[in-house]
Amino acid sequence: MDGKRVETISARVDAAVSSPDSVEDELELSAVRHRPEGLEQLEAQTRFSRKELQILYRGFKNECPSGVVNEETFKDIYSQFFPQGDASTYAHFLFNAFDTDHNGSVSFEDFVMGLSILLRGTVQEKLNWAFNLYDINKDGYITKEEMLDIMKAIYDMMGKCTYPVLKEETPRQHVEVFFQKMDKNKDGVVTIDEFIDCCQNDENIMRSMHLFENVL
Amino acid sequence: MAAGVAAWLPFARAAAIGWMPVATAPMPVPPKDKRRGHEGLIVLNVSGTKFQTWRDTLERYPDTLLGSSERDFFFHEESNEYFFDRDPDIFRHILNFYRTGKLHYPRQECISAYDEELAFFGIIPEIIGDCCYEDYKDRRRENQERIQDDEETDATNELVPPDMSFRETMWRAFENPHTSTMALVFYYVTGFFIAVSVLANVVETVPCGTAPNRAKVVSCGERYALAFFCLDTACVMIFTVEYLLRLLAAPSRYKFVKSVMSIIDVVAIMPYYIGLVMTDNEDVSGAFVTLRVFRVFRIFKFSRHSAGLRILGYTLKSCASELGFLLFSLTMAIIIFATVMFYAEKGSSASKFTSIPAAFWYTIVTMTTLGYGDMVPKTIMGKIFGSICSLSGVLVIALPVPVIVSNFSRIYHQSQRAEKRRAQKKTRLARIRAVKSGGANAYLQYKRSWLLIDPDEEASKEAGQALVCKTNPNFEMHHHHLLHCLEKTTNHEFVDEKTYEASCREVTLVKQVSCSSSISSSPHGLTSCCSRRKRKTFNVPNSNMSVGLQGSIQELSTIQIRERPLTNSRSSRSSLNAKFEETVPLNCDQPYMTAAIISMPTPPGTTPEGDESTSSTDYSQANIVRVSAL
Repeated sequence: MDGKRVETISARVDAAVSSPDSVEDELELSAVRHRPEGLEQLEAQTRFSRKELQILYRGFKNECPSGVVNEETFKDIYSQFFPQGDASTYAHFLFNAFDTDHNGSVSFEDFVMGLSILLRGTVQEKLNWAFNLYDINKDGYITKEEMLDIMKAIYDMMGKCTYPVLKEETPRQHVEVFFQKMDKNKDGVVTIDEFIDCCQNDENIMRSMHLFENVL
Repeated sequence: MAAGVAAWLPFARAAAIGWMPVATAPMPVPPKDKRRGHEGLIVLNVSGTKFQTWRDTLERYPDTLLGSSERDFFFHEESNEYFFDRDPDIFRHILNFYRTGKLHYPRQECISAYDEELAFFGIIPEIIGDCCYEDYKDRRRENQERIQDDEETDATNELVPPDMSFRETMWRAFENPHTSTMALVFYYVTGFFIAVSVLANVVETVPCGTAPNRAKVVSCGERYALAFFCLDTACVMIFTVEYLLRLLAAPSRYKFVKSVMSIIDVVAIMPYYIGLVMTDNEDVSGAFVTLRVFRVFRIFKFSRHSAGLRILGYTLKSCASELGFLLFSLTMAIIIFATVMFYAEKGSSASKFTSIPAAFWYTIVTMTTLGYGDMVPKTIMGKIFGSICSLSGVLVIALPVPVIVSNFSRIYHQSQRAEKRRAQKKTRLARIRAVKSGGANAYLQYKRSWLLIDPDEEASKEAGQALVCKTNPNFEMHHHHLLHCLEKTTNHEFVDEKTYEASCREVTLVKQVSCSSSISSSPHGLTSCCSRRKRKTFNVPNSNMSVGLQGSIQELSTIQIRERPLTNSRSSRSSLNAKFEETVPLNCDQPYMTAAIISMPTPPGTTPEGDESTSSTDYSQANIVRVSAL
């Protein structure tokens, strides 16, 4: 059975007659339709049951009838959960974390794989995912700058009206705390092993990993 | 937050794992999920049409009927579905709202039906999508206007409250001339005098031949100055009186003085008084002459008499912006073309285009395609620009005119519709009243048929009951029983209007016939057995009779009244029956009835029936009480 079949209607148009109407071409180019793999395959690849996959897909398809989410839509959807602040930066990082093949759009498979790890994965997998999120350039190391970006994005979601009032240096201080905890060999970067080790030794983090297991 | 993204909440929560390693404090405990395992389809049966949707779809909007626990009230256990006794066509749109998040308004549905459905399902109409919102608002506005129109006409046509003060009566007479003859007379008189006054103003200026002792021709006004002066005085007096009366009667004097009609009235009569006050001075005579021009405003007083004129005025008022635009664009074009023509014709000798303002006259005459020809361009450039001017004039004027015309047409048709509705309303209300009174008569008839049943005779009782059951469906039966209970509670009874009026009149007759009671009762006693039989025979046709055949019922009733024995319980019932059935005031029989009632208390114990008699005597007592009270 085929894997992804990305049907671009524009391809058909090109194959047929080169139409002189450029506006119509543009419209049809944007009508990308994506059909996910079969239910059985997804069931095998993820840890969701059939029913859960159905529910997930229905919600996904309702918001994105074309079958894929692009970054703009992703940001829009995520921002609706955090109306006081600006969730776009964090959504950007999230998008990159979900878009595992880096093709600029999150298909249903990507979505479901990500959710499978987050909701049904082992602690190891979850921590792996989190590391992947923080590692913006995906080089295997979390630098202070990357962490600062992430931290700022998280604090941005809070918005202005917080108690106590958010100060400029709060994200930076938080990053310092983080690095003090995680960076064992004090080389200025956090590797995946350091990260996983440290997290496994922290009770709070361990407990919170199991927080969202009953979400679906 | 758009409810559609509620489906993405699990994702957002899952993504929160990304914050965990960064957090320094422990996370709060997640809330317990109350509803679990409630996924699945919901069947919504709307008047037989089954709709199905996911439960989650409906729960996207928890503040509506379908999304909240309110829908549990409509759950039908036997079929395991939710049943709504509403319109399935409109429900389709409401369900689509849950599915797509957009509410559409279908054009072919009635606006009030749609509003009702929305209100029932708890959806505010403001969330109608942009594609349909304008249309919805337009239809809504039309509907409101129609309702307002109806209310206004109701206000004007409502029954006169009997305790209106003289001032209010006068005001009402002024505003609605058809309410009383006096008002109508006044209306026509003022109309006549307005016409006379305007005609006099016009005829005044017609040349009337030479005056004696003068060579030149004089106008009629100067020749018959006295006559015209007297006519003018008479008219102004009438107008003044009318104005003062209106001012006196107006509920809000300040508002009246500010209104357009009153200003027209004042302007119409002021010149005369100012003329009286001013002496025939040479200095001010010029001003005096100018003042006489204002007398022509009297013609506007006709707008009280003509609805069409009022509509025209209203149209012009409502098209003010279009008229303003027309004026503005015309002014712009006039200035442009006048300037151009002036400079084009500057060179030609003896040109009439002496200045730009002088050229205005040419431009206006040309643009409106009048073309008097008193000013014509002579140079070639002037002619070219002149032709461009006339062509553009047609365009500039033709553009706003259709807007004004369509506005006028809309308002005119609206007023026509209002008139038609008013005329139709009368017949509609009359018909509705007839049906309603039919319903009331049904109860009275039911009572008659019930009371006429002879409890002694089982057969007749069964027959009567069977007949009653046949003609009165279950609902009516219980309804009648309820009314009956009310009657028993209050010791009063339901009667129809005419009987009530008749009984009002009876009060006076009661005293007159009290002496003849004994005389009247005896002959009736002789006919008791025959009437009994007769009553039974009348029973059947009565109960079978439909409410509409009132004529025949009356016939029977008259016969019953005349031949019914007015003794004992029978008589009490018969008197009741006579009362109920007397839809035609049988004045000649009034004494009978009153006599019967009065003779009631004397033989209470001679009734063979047990309960019925007591109840009937109660009735009679009640009757007596009622009559005397009246």
